[in-house]
Amino acid sequence: MSSAYSSTLTLAAGAVLICAVVVLWVTSTRSMLIVVATQGTALGCVAMTLGVHVGDAGLIATAAVELAVKGLAIPVLIDRAAGGALDRERRPLVNVPASLVASAALIVLAFTAARGVATFVGATSGALVPVGVATLLVGFLVLVSRRRPIFQMVGLLLVDNGIALVAFLCTAGVPFLIEVGVSLDVLLAVVVLMVLAQRLRSEFGDLDLDELRELHD
Amino acid sequence: MTSAWPAPSVVAVSVLQVLGVVVGGPLLVGLMRKVRCRLEGRVGPPVHQPLLDLRKLARRERTRPDRASWIFSVVPVVLVATTLVIALVAPLLSTDPAFGWSADLFALIYLMLIGSVVLALGALDTGTAFGGMGASRAMTIGALSEPALLVAVLALSIPAHSSNVPTIVARSLAHPAWLATPQRLLSLVAFLIVIVAESGRLPVDNPSTHLELTMIHEAMILEYAGADLALIKLGESMRLIVLLALFADLFVPWGIATAPGVGHVVVGVVAIGAKVAALGVALAAFEVAVAKLRLFRVPELLAGAFVLAVLAVISALVVP
Amino acid sequence: MTADLLIAAALVGLLAAAAGAVAPERLRAEVVSVLTVVASGCGLAVALGVLRSGRAAVVHTGRLLPLGGLSLRLDRFGALFVAVSAVVAISAMIFRLGYESHALSSRTASCVLPLFVTALILVPAAASVTTFLFVWELMAITSLLLVLVDHRRRSEVAAAAQWYAVMTQFGAAALLVALVLLATHADSQSFIAIAARSAGVPAWVRSTAFALAVVGFGSKAGMVPLHVWLPRAHPEAPGPVSALMSAAMVNLGIYGIIRVGDGLLGGGPAWWWLLLMGLGALSALFGALHAATSTDLKRLLAYSTTDNMGLVLLGIGASGLFASTGHPSLALVALVAALLHVVFHAVFKGSLFLSAGSIQQASGTRDLDRLGGLLQRMPVTGSLFLVGSAAIAALPPLCGFVSEWLLLQALLHGLPSSDLALAIALPVGVAVLALTGGLTALTFVKAAGIGLLGQPRRAQAVETREVRRSMWAGAGILATLCLVFGVAPFLILPAVLDAARTVTASHVLDPLVRGWHVGLAGAPGALAPGLLGLGLLASVVLTAGIRRALQRAAVRRTEAWGCGRELQTARMQYTATSFGEPLTRVFEDVLSPAHDLDVSHVAESRYYVEAATFHTSLEDAFERHGYRHAASALGWWGRLARRVPNGSVHRYLAFGLVALVVVLVVLG
Repeated sequence: MSSAYSSTLTLAAGAVLICAVVVLWVTSTRSMLIVVATQGTALGCVAMTLGVHVGDAGLIATAAVELAVKGLAIPVLIDRAAGGALDRERRPLVNVPASLVASAALIVLAFTAARGVATFVGATSGALVPVGVATLLVGFLVLVSRRRPIFQMVGLLLVDNGIALVAFLCTAGVPFLIEVGVSLDVLLAVVVLMVLAQRLRSEFGDLDLDELRELHD
Repeated sequence: MTSAWPAPSVVAVSVLQVLGVVVGGPLLVGLMRKVRCRLEGRVGPPVHQPLLDLRKLARRERTRPDRASWIFSVVPVVLVATTLVIALVAPLLSTDPAFGWSADLFALIYLMLIGSVVLALGALDTGTAFGGMGASRAMTIGALSEPALLVAVLALSIPAHSSNVPTIVARSLAHPAWLATPQRLLSLVAFLIVIVAESGRLPVDNPSTHLELTMIHEAMILEYAGADLALIKLGESMRLIVLLALFADLFVPWGIATAPGVGHVVVGVVAIGAKVAALGVALAAFEVAVAKLRLFRVPELLAGAFVLAVLAVISALVVP
Repeated sequence: MTADLLIAAALVGLLAAAAGAVAPERLRAEVVSVLTVVASGCGLAVALGVLRSGRAAVVHTGRLLPLGGLSLRLDRFGALFVAVSAVVAISAMIFRLGYESHALSSRTASCVLPLFVTALILVPAAASVTTFLFVWELMAITSLLLVLVDHRRRSEVAAAAQWYAVMTQFGAAALLVALVLLATHADSQSFIAIAARSAGVPAWVRSTAFALAVVGFGSKAGMVPLHVWLPRAHPEAPGPVSALMSAAMVNLGIYGIIRVGDGLLGGGPAWWWLLLMGLGALSALFGALHAATSTDLKRLLAYSTTDNMGLVLLGIGASGLFASTGHPSLALVALVAALLHVVFHAVFKGSLFLSAGSIQQASGTRDLDRLGGLLQRMPVTGSLFLVGSAAIAALPPLCGFVSEWLLLQALLHGLPSSDLALAIALPVGVAVLALTGGLTALTFVKAAGIGLLGQPRRAQAVETREVRRSMWAGAGILATLCLVFGVAPFLILPAVLDAARTVTASHVLDPLVRGWHVGLAGAPGALAPGLLGLGLLASVVLTAGIRRALQRAAVRRTEAWGCGRELQTARMQYTATSFGEPLTRVFEDVLSPAHDLDVSHVAESRYYVEAATFHTSLEDAFERHGYRHAASALGWWGRLARRVPNGSVHRYLAFGLVALVVVLVVLG
């Protein structure tokens, strides 16, 4: 039982991080959304596994909310924001191989830095804390290196998922209300960004964030 | 790990491995071609067609471009010969082939490198634009896939404390739960990407292209004919089957003969045959679904494989 | 007895220098080469004697040098380097017999060349600070003069020598400070005394001395970012000299780092070694990348020297890290791997540089874009170059493979580790080793494939002929060693192991299995390069036999396929530039190549292009960004300082007074 628990937890948390890396890897919006949905689901699975292991109904409920919001609602909304267009990130600020190598470095950094926390929390869930930190850092990398607003939204989402993962693992459960609140916050942010993106598109006909710089002058 | 002369039964296993690779390689290529054709709604040539092709080619005249040197003629022989040595010493159907102690996983990779290097040299020796183009592209892809490959090997070697294939296999058989750990799955994906890149399959290279400018591997062997071409075709199919068999042993080791004895060896033969065939079918099905990548997107793929391999090492260190 | 031979080596070297100065021009090359071979032979004999017996050769003369006299002590560690230098020197001198170079036959050059070789042999034997600095400077200055010999014919030579002069003096200054710092704290300038007392030296002094030694010796070994002189100076030197520099002189930089870090200081904290590993990884990647994109044959080889020395530094760093984290056995293995790579690098790089010298002399160029088809015109030199290329690309069963394999094993067996530094550094090391390995394979496929194979890329190349016998014999000795050490590493492993034990004073039990197969003691997984070589040979013969049995008809010569085009000119082939182009594009952010496209249109219409020229160049990023700024800052400072002395005698006298006062204040 315990070994099944720890290996499920490890696999699910690993999937969260790999999805983050894959976001850097892909350039097409459609495949990226599939990845984001997968990540949300994996995060939900982490919460679910923890909840079942601890036997905490609140955590299980949180997991269900996570699955619904991050696995389904947000990807669908972002897809709407993209307007169903199959556009690609053509000229990222940092090219794909370089950002992948950078992500490898960031992940190593995360594992180095979060070591103390990991040993402090202990057990399998503690050992996985660096995974959450790494997801957060990769999310930031996406925010820094990609131009399209859709990718910006996804970067934000990655950061949030990273934080959520750490929270789940550290405390074996965030209070239900807080997690729901945070998830809804992100949902709200996505909606706002979505509206913004649509306005941008209708005004400028393009969605390149760098061109916003011209507005500044 | 002894340097004494190996027992006759062990030698028999090695000979069986070599025969299996020589005959199985072309059959595997035929099988993959057949699967592709079926999935595309065509009947396709019979599975043993590559063997028939080899027989036909072996009787044809050899040619050599007028400016090429002796290197050009040596290449096919060296390509096949290095793969034969790998087939002899690599633990493919038994964990203890003759002279298995003479090469670990790193050594097998470096032996594989000989084939890539001589192919590129032969291509440059033709003195044509296509040869140079193929050689340049193939070597670039090879150089970039090396880090992913070796780091993935490292990830596999860390828990076993050895880069020796039999040791890794023994460890996997002793700890079956280890096979589902993230480190294994990650290095599995990294390995697969590298195998696809190294053996020149889709989406990195299209082995059935007829357009010179999109070629990588085919551009290198454009000038070979007759018996030379037969050797090259044989060599590359042998390389593919060796790679897939090693992959199968590292990640799905069940069935490999761990002790001498006819029963074990028969099981080993059947198991490795089934595993390689399944992998071949899966690869072929995957190839139908994807298009060839642009050459300059290939580094992205390989960088991705590298990151996965690094993640595998990290998880091997964190979750022993 | 060995001490006498050491003196003999030095004396014969001096004799050769004198002979070079007085011998008539007709005989000069022969006399100098033969005498230098004798001197190197003496050096080799001492080194082998010391390696076998373990008794150090000691020479001490009180009066020969100021400040403590000449003090030589050759232990097993130094002997390994002496042996390498001597073998390279012997080959280079045999090569020299056939090498036609007017500049190298001049009186000065003939006098300096033996001195350079003598210095190479004496540096690892120096046993005191003054002796070491003296022979080190002798080596630096003689090599500088030898780089300069061709300066009348080509203007690049002077620029290269200028870079070299600045960097080598900068390095020497760093060494001077490092060694003097250690000597003052140990209260003695003898290396033995320093080593004995270094444990009591304050930590900051030890760290400063180590850092300065890494800077000083690293610049000699071509460590990034102090490598800039190397890819300029090594190619500009005449053939045998560049072989001596790239195969023997750079090793002494490595020698120095190990001697100071492991020997004099007796190891140190983990950060020293992490720093060294980082610098090594950087050098390896940077060197490999530039080698892969170079089109000048000798520049390519020089960058590859930086790459290989980077790998060696990586090994030394790993060794120190293992030692400081409590893995003495692995530390020894990593050090053995690094030293083995030094030896093997000397062997294959020497052979490659000598072959490149032959190619340059026979074809008149070292620009790969203008070479081609040489294997058929220079069969022996071409084959030797191929052997060297295969060895450096780490193809079994040649020697480069064994040392890389051993280094990989050392890195692998350090994991899993609870130590954070190891857990990060070792996987990074493996990745670096892998990428440089792949890039090196590409580089030497390019060098051999573009230079030796295909069609000649210009008309003159068609008449290229094989060089004289002594030239390929020189390269041949080293190429043979590539194969011998590759299949039978046990010939050299014990010597390297003893050398490593001597310098680290390590007492661990034998960490290596070494017979026909090599491996780590107690760990499964070994390598039997000899057996693999035999297997390869047998299966090549078998396959060739089968092909012959199947198809007896002679090979028909045909026209190559050109998409239906009949005439295929040599210009349609890939060049070295085009071969490296995909890689240049992949690493565009690192290499930042400069492109320059110049299109001129016909006068009548802009839609018709009259001529288009495309120019692309790759500059060393460190040179372009780091050194230019440093140079301009120095120039600014110089201009500022020039205002101070205005020609007035009173002011100059005042300088003297101020200096005196400052000294008195400081002393008081």
